[in-house]
Amino acid sequence: MSLLTVSGLTKRYSRGGKTLTAADDVSFHVEPGETLALAGPSGSGKSTIARLVLRLIEPDGGRIEFEGGDFLALGGSALRARRARLQMVFQDPLAAFNPRATVARVLDDPLRIHGIASRAERPRRIAALLERVGLAADLAPRAIHEISGGQRQRVAIARAIATKPSLIVLDEAVSALDVSVRGQILDLLLDLQREQRIAYLFISHDLGVVRAIAHRVILLDAGRIAESGDARAVIDTPRSAIGKALVAAAPRLNRNRP
Amino acid sequence: MTALASIRDLSVTYRRDGSEVAALKNITFDVQAGERLAIIGESGSGKSTLALAIAGLLPASVRIEGHIDWFLPSTSGAKAPPLLGRDIGFVFQDPSASLDPVITVGKQIAEVAHTHLGLTWSQSFAKAKQLLERVRLPDPDSALRAYPHQLSGGQKQRVAIAAAIAAGPRLLIADEATSALDTIVQAEIVALIRRLVAEDGMTLLFISHDIALAAKLAERIAVFRHGQLVELGATARIINAPTQTYTRTLLDAHIGLDAEPLLNRGGTRG
Repeated sequence: MSLLTVSGLTKRYSRGGKTLTAADDVSFHVEPGETLALAGPSGSGKSTIARLVLRLIEPDGGRIEFEGGDFLALGGSALRARRARLQMVFQDPLAAFNPRATVARVLDDPLRIHGIASRAERPRRIAALLERVGLAADLAPRAIHEISGGQRQRVAIARAIATKPSLIVLDEAVSALDVSVRGQILDLLLDLQREQRIAYLFISHDLGVVRAIAHRVILLDAGRIAESGDARAVIDTPRSAIGKALVAAAPRLNRNRP
Repeated sequence: MTALASIRDLSVTYRRDGSEVAALKNITFDVQAGERLAIIGESGSGKSTLALAIAGLLPASVRIEGHIDWFLPSTSGAKAPPLLGRDIGFVFQDPSASLDPVITVGKQIAEVAHTHLGLTWSQSFAKAKQLLERVRLPDPDSALRAYPHQLSGGQKQRVAIAAAIAAGPRLLIADEATSALDTIVQAEIVALIRRLVAEDGMTLLFISHDIALAAKLAERIAVFRHGQLVELGATARIINAPTQTYTRTLLDAHIGLDAEPLLNRGGTRG
């Protein structure tokens, strides 16, 4: 059985009397331990779909099944409990966290809220999480706004894995990072995936990164699925108009390799 | 080639909470007249500080050492410093921040022409319409009367570019001007900048964190890191035969469409 099955997902917004269909009858599935990328230009609906899957917004139609249950039917404590298995990392962790909170506080919250570790046990768990994402334990008392962008994104990943999720939604999670840091974060994500069999829903506008780390890709255009399939196959030979346009627009380095 | 600007021993120091941070350290190089020069670097490299220093946009609280000598064809005859808007056009990353939200697009472009070219308002609006056609904005007539919020991100950046070139500047500075745009719009804006620079014989300073994008547009690339100039050379030389380890690191970190998939380094599925 699939880990996540989305069928007929639809979301409309009305803006200035006009109706905009941000997600138009979108269906896909994510298997355990797999990376499925959602790619497309601005306004193609990729972030809307991420938000729908996370239930940060509610759809106008369609179904979401997660870990074998109707995810949209959940409410209250059942939803909170299930959310421990479905985590998220956004582009800008400074916007996602209270900037004055300490690193320890950011990691303490999920452990406490989901009852994962007792108060006495939590400092040790926090140190272990920091170590797992390649950060020194002495970073714990520092404020979120004091650490570098790369360190913050590692903290965001540590927070996401704190609740032992089966799926993490990564919404442009490496897009704002310096390129030298980006490679390290991608390596960390792949290591965690191998180790803990976490699935990723990887939202990105960068086809190079998608091709490097995703198993499968869905290309979106104006809220609809334009094409989907094996990430390398789709990006190497796109068939849809938007796929061809995205590939043509991607900057190339054309190095003469020795 | 002759120099448009000679930057000599330029150091810029920000003062923050009583401590000093060196944003640029002893930078020396020439911007050649008519060239497309890319300044690339990661966060904290000093690339944006350099753009602001060249445009004369650094705040008064900043300590500037060294100097920039300009070789502009001057109407007054004297070697006067350049005037932002007239001699230098500046395009920022976020067009929403550089455009005034309560003034129509047409007025904002016309204002530049009116101020720097001494045109009448009706001439200035005619010029604004011409410029909107040159930056390929669909329906320039209604765009003249539109407010920035009525346009998409890519369209706003086209308007910002139209305003930047309205007075016919010798130098166009684009500071991460395409970074907030998606790949398709980014490619369109890069093509637009290339065309306008060629048509008007402008010199281009293209500030970017993206070495692949810079290589597509620039004839020369200057690599910055921690406020220092790491290396400067012809684009093909920087890309194919970098002399500095850091440049090679940046090139290797680029994940292109032909990159070896990271996924294959260990089986994930199954």
